[in-house]
Amino acid sequence: MWLLEQADAAAVLPEIILAVIAMVLLMVGVFRKGETANFVNLASLFGLAVVALLVIFGGSGRMTAFGGAFVVDTFARVMKVLILFGSAAAITLSVHFMKEQKIEKFEYPILILLATVGMMMMVSANDLISLYMGLELQSLALYVVAAIDRDNARSSEAGLKYFVLGALSSGMLLYGASLIYGFTGATGFPEIAAATAAGAGGLGVLFGIVFVIAGLAFKVSAVPFHMWTPDVYEGSPTPVTAFFSAAPKVAAMALLVRTVFAPFSGLVPDWQQILVFVSIASMVLGAFAAIGQTNIKRLLAYSSIGNMGYALVGLAAGTQEGVRGVIIYMMIYMIMTLGSFACVIAMARKGRQVEEISDLAGLARTDKMLAFVLAMLMFSLAGIPPLAGFFAKYFVFLAAIQANLVTLAVIGVVASVVGAYYYLRIVKIMYFDEPAPGFDPMHGEVRLIAVLAGAFSLVFVLIAQPLVNLAGAAAASLF
Amino acid sequence: MTLATLFFYLFSAVMLASAVMVISSRNPVHSVLFLILAFFNAAGLFILLGAEFLAMILVVVYVGAVAVLFLFVVMMLDIDFAELRQGMLNYLPVGATIGLILMVELVLVVAGWSISPDLLKTVTSPAPSVTDMTNTEALGRILYTKYIYYFQAAGLILLVSMIGAIVLTLRHKPNVKRQNVSDQVARGPATAIEIRDVKPGQGI
Amino acid sequence: MYQAIVFLPLIGALIAGLAGTSLFRMMGREAEAFGHDTGHDHGHGEHGDAHEHHHQPPWPMYLTSALLIVTAVLSWVAFIGYLHDGGVQKFEILRWVGSGALSANWVLRIDTLTAVMLVVVTTVSALVHVYSIGYMGHDPHQARFFSYLSLFTFAMLMLVTSDNLLQLFFGWEGVGLASYLLIGFWYKRPSANAAAIKAFVVNRVGDFGFALGIFATFLIFGTIDFDPIFAGAAGQVGKTMDFLGYNVDVMTTICLLLFMGAMGKSAQFLLHTWLPDAMEGPTPVSALIHAATMVTAGVFLVARMSPLFETAPYASDFVIIIGAITAFFAATVGLVQNDIKRVIAYSTCSQLGYMFVALGVGAYGVGIFHLFTHAFFKALLFLGSGSVIHAMSDEQDMRKMGGLAPHIRITWVMMLIGTLALTGFPFTAGYFSKDAIIESSFASRAGPGAFAFWLLVIAAAFTAFYSWRLMLMTFHGRPRASAATMEHVHESPQVMLIPLYFLAAGALAAGFVFKDYFIGHDYDAFWRGSVVSTEIIEEMHHIPAWVIWSPTVAMVLGFLVAWLFYIRRPDLPATLAAQNEPLYRFLLNKWYFDELYDFIFVRPAFWLGRLFWKRGDGWAIDGFGPDGVSAWVVDITNRVVRLQTGYVYHYAFAMLIGVAALVTWFMFGGAH
Repeated sequence: MWLLEQADAAAVLPEIILAVIAMVLLMVGVFRKGETANFVNLASLFGLAVVALLVIFGGSGRMTAFGGAFVVDTFARVMKVLILFGSAAAITLSVHFMKEQKIEKFEYPILILLATVGMMMMVSANDLISLYMGLELQSLALYVVAAIDRDNARSSEAGLKYFVLGALSSGMLLYGASLIYGFTGATGFPEIAAATAAGAGGLGVLFGIVFVIAGLAFKVSAVPFHMWTPDVYEGSPTPVTAFFSAAPKVAAMALLVRTVFAPFSGLVPDWQQILVFVSIASMVLGAFAAIGQTNIKRLLAYSSIGNMGYALVGLAAGTQEGVRGVIIYMMIYMIMTLGSFACVIAMARKGRQVEEISDLAGLARTDKMLAFVLAMLMFSLAGIPPLAGFFAKYFVFLAAIQANLVTLAVIGVVASVVGAYYYLRIVKIMYFDEPAPGFDPMHGEVRLIAVLAGAFSLVFVLIAQPLVNLAGAAAASLF
Repeated sequence: MTLATLFFYLFSAVMLASAVMVISSRNPVHSVLFLILAFFNAAGLFILLGAEFLAMILVVVYVGAVAVLFLFVVMMLDIDFAELRQGMLNYLPVGATIGLILMVELVLVVAGWSISPDLLKTVTSPAPSVTDMTNTEALGRILYTKYIYYFQAAGLILLVSMIGAIVLTLRHKPNVKRQNVSDQVARGPATAIEIRDVKPGQGI
Repeated sequence: MYQAIVFLPLIGALIAGLAGTSLFRMMGREAEAFGHDTGHDHGHGEHGDAHEHHHQPPWPMYLTSALLIVTAVLSWVAFIGYLHDGGVQKFEILRWVGSGALSANWVLRIDTLTAVMLVVVTTVSALVHVYSIGYMGHDPHQARFFSYLSLFTFAMLMLVTSDNLLQLFFGWEGVGLASYLLIGFWYKRPSANAAAIKAFVVNRVGDFGFALGIFATFLIFGTIDFDPIFAGAAGQVGKTMDFLGYNVDVMTTICLLLFMGAMGKSAQFLLHTWLPDAMEGPTPVSALIHAATMVTAGVFLVARMSPLFETAPYASDFVIIIGAITAFFAATVGLVQNDIKRVIAYSTCSQLGYMFVALGVGAYGVGIFHLFTHAFFKALLFLGSGSVIHAMSDEQDMRKMGGLAPHIRITWVMMLIGTLALTGFPFTAGYFSKDAIIESSFASRAGPGAFAFWLLVIAAAFTAFYSWRLMLMTFHGRPRASAATMEHVHESPQVMLIPLYFLAAGALAAGFVFKDYFIGHDYDAFWRGSVVSTEIIEEMHHIPAWVIWSPTVAMVLGFLVAWLFYIRRPDLPATLAAQNEPLYRFLLNKWYFDELYDFIFVRPAFWLGRLFWKRGDGWAIDGFGPDGVSAWVVDITNRVVRLQTGYVYHYAFAMLIGVAALVTWFMFGGAH
């Protein structure tokens, strides 16, 4: 008897390959003499690309494996490709940075790869246990990379804070999962759905949902489970922060989407209330708290919190259009945030990273292109048409209004007006303030990512149709 | 009241009491010892449930390895727990209120909970009766087949934590002599022993 | 051809303005150069510091000048064609506005009146462009200057070629804009900015009336195209309409409203205050805009609307009265001014009054004729005075001049020709046109006509006096300037003198050559109905001889008094001024109009503005609006940021509180 049924293997092949690549590279890193980080970086990128191709071309339609614990559908494929892209970008951004900060380790890309495996498992999770497994695999790797600059107190503090609070959130998640299991007698999403439809659970299941959503909200850093975000973003090395703000957010959001829809599609009005609360709190706090920041990484942390709030608006709508909005939002958000962090990585003077917003002063006169790209990204994040960020917000607000959540949409718009202030302030500082000394020349790959993100935000309006259609198909596969 | 019920309440009561002592005792070594006591009682509860494998694992792994490791760490690191705990009283009212609210709510919900007889059917892999096969065998049968996915995922998680531990703590210090097993094994009489003919009355 | 005439200046303006100034490159420099350039009346030589010498390439000024010369030549070709034949021609450029019943197409309408205006505008403009090459050659912002000049020319051409009131209004506002920009060309000088704003605001008053006139026209006629309006004007005589609650005569109201616009643009009495201040602009601008062309736009408007004014006798009487008062008033003020440019500015104001009198009495051709000749000699006087100022190292006060004639002989000759023409010396241009106006006012015989006649004759004497006063104070007598200044007195370069020659030729010959066409026996054949022909043209040839001689006598009188005052007995003016102190003050302060307006309009407006600003906007709107909201936002931000303490257990508490809140909500919050 094969340990793996052939059908199961086909569904889970990309994850297996990625895990194997990670382990092989680990061996290479340990046993190969001399400098191995470069080779491992390149090989990791190659591996991510191969796996992305496998995900795209490895079949279509809905496939399940391992007795329904693992599911691959269009939604999962789209999200996985996004995640792989985000991970690849995070590795790319780190190559020179780590070298210059003298914290280059071959384990870093391997941890990213393993985290990516975890994220892919999250996206495909169709069972409370596989959900938890994926989440922990991802989280553990993230705790480690947060503290990868281990001789730096701030980085270590970031890793420790993330770990402690992450453990608490895992505890909540598990507690919720056990409540749900206890009240429905099942861990598989379809079985839970069947049990709740049959009337099992009641308030107990709702409590379970609260705890599970709390655990997942921690991962997407939604208020009030966001407190770790600014500290961890600030303390971690910048490429790690870029990684945190991109792929794991996509994965956690995808997991949240599946977790509220697959098992609890019958309880939409109930969990909707949770998400509306969390969403409003995130949008408002993200908008207000960012204004007071002077460190650009902290600012982007609050920006990230706010953006998750907007994405949750779409989820709170509880409709297929809402999910489509979430997918589009995450797609655009991930690219915007990667581009922004690429710009932050470029903020170095004489090999030392600087992170204050005031360091950007007069950038338009010392580095026109970087200033322009960052300005485009900020305009886009502020949601100014016709840039990509505008459409992201448009689709989620549209879904909210169609779902009769007008108040939520209005609060969202007001929050984005407040939020526009701090994005535009950065533009103002870059273009109108007296120039600070210029930055070191950017490395090619950082520049590439920044420019690509800026270009994406500019031309999104032209390529929107196919992407929106894709997101629509992905959303449809959940219903 | 059967004997089993009596033991259930005994184990539970002792476990809860020792859990409270873990966080409230002044001496950290006592805390760890209370933790071990709690583990033992939990193992007892498992036995009552017929889960003898879990009970043994708990004793072997948690008591035998983890808790002892804790004990070492606590003894080796001179942590002033009293100082750490100083701020706790400030937050006690808030924390206690929240804890109380949550507890009351959960008790209210769980108290009204009854498993409907149908639900037991949805349980995916019910534990077989002890008379049919041992826990260990039952777990072994599904762990590498039905639950291969979870098992491997758990393996990956452990791998990550291992890598993490190494990445964050391992330092290559120069001039440190390390034991090299293969060198030791490869060392035969030809390289290790030199026979000298020592003449009486003379030194080497 | 006509398209070329209208659009070549626009092309020049765009190229010079966009490429010549390279806006982008200058933005940074402008900021750093700010405060260094205090501005001089002409940008010649004095900008010594290296800072100002980021020289722009000279091609924009050559390009615009060349285009304008081409335009001028084309205009003359067109004009000569119109001397003998040609009626109304129309060239449609594009459909412009179509909104309900209102439709206005962009059409170039060419008739005799337009052809005359084309010649005046393009000739003076071309000459001023050339003159400016010398005058502005060293100004760091010359490309901008030439761009504005060409833009002005384009707008003026749009104005005179318009076929409907909206198009005319477009040109009207276009020249207003260009005038604003050019008066404030040296924008670092506060007085220039103030003058520019004043010109703009005073013109708004007139334009308000003009716009109302256009609305009324549309209301009554249902169209704003000229031809149907002219055709329908006679049919509206005697009808009334509701205006501000009064029942008013239709045609009178429309004409008065339109004339209100003309009053503003042509600096007529009550709305004249901006024109003397407009002399803050560079002198070529004064010559082009504030003497020869833009200020005559009001005259053009009334002439163009002559079929309407013919149906509104009361409005025409009003035009006569205002024109006559302006002519007299400005001449009296001109008597005592000491700034050489201000004298000429008041002279312009006065001459515009003459033109309006002619229009009011129905002698439209005569008014336009004076416009035509006036353009030559007034531009000549301005450019000549520019040359004087240039020679005197930026001195404009005539009290500090004197005895310049031997040093700048050519300029002296040019100024002499201009003065002769202005005062109406026999057979110069002014002699024909100005005397014709006086004759026509006498010929009209109506009450306002007689009133106007006497005022104009007196004004003619005053004109002669202040013109000769200017000449004598500037060029004759003892030099009153410092020796150093006198040493530097030098003739202007040829590029500035050549335009003067052309203008001098015009000032001498324009009247003699064209009088038969404009006001003589070829009147009807020349105008071909582009302005209404009335019997007054015929009547003005049958008036008593003393009337014909009266202006000449007035002129001689004015000259003699001037000679007496400034050559023979130079102490007399001071004595006279001392004896008639109140009158002298009254004239020197321009009848106290600025003070009066300041008291009646400006201060209440400022008071009201300050009230709205401090109380309304600052306190109420800002307080509760932007400032209040932003203060509130900052306050919230500070609180939120304070939540982020950095302690893990706080964070954990926040999470637990969140969960507890949600659970409580589901427990008791009415989720079920």
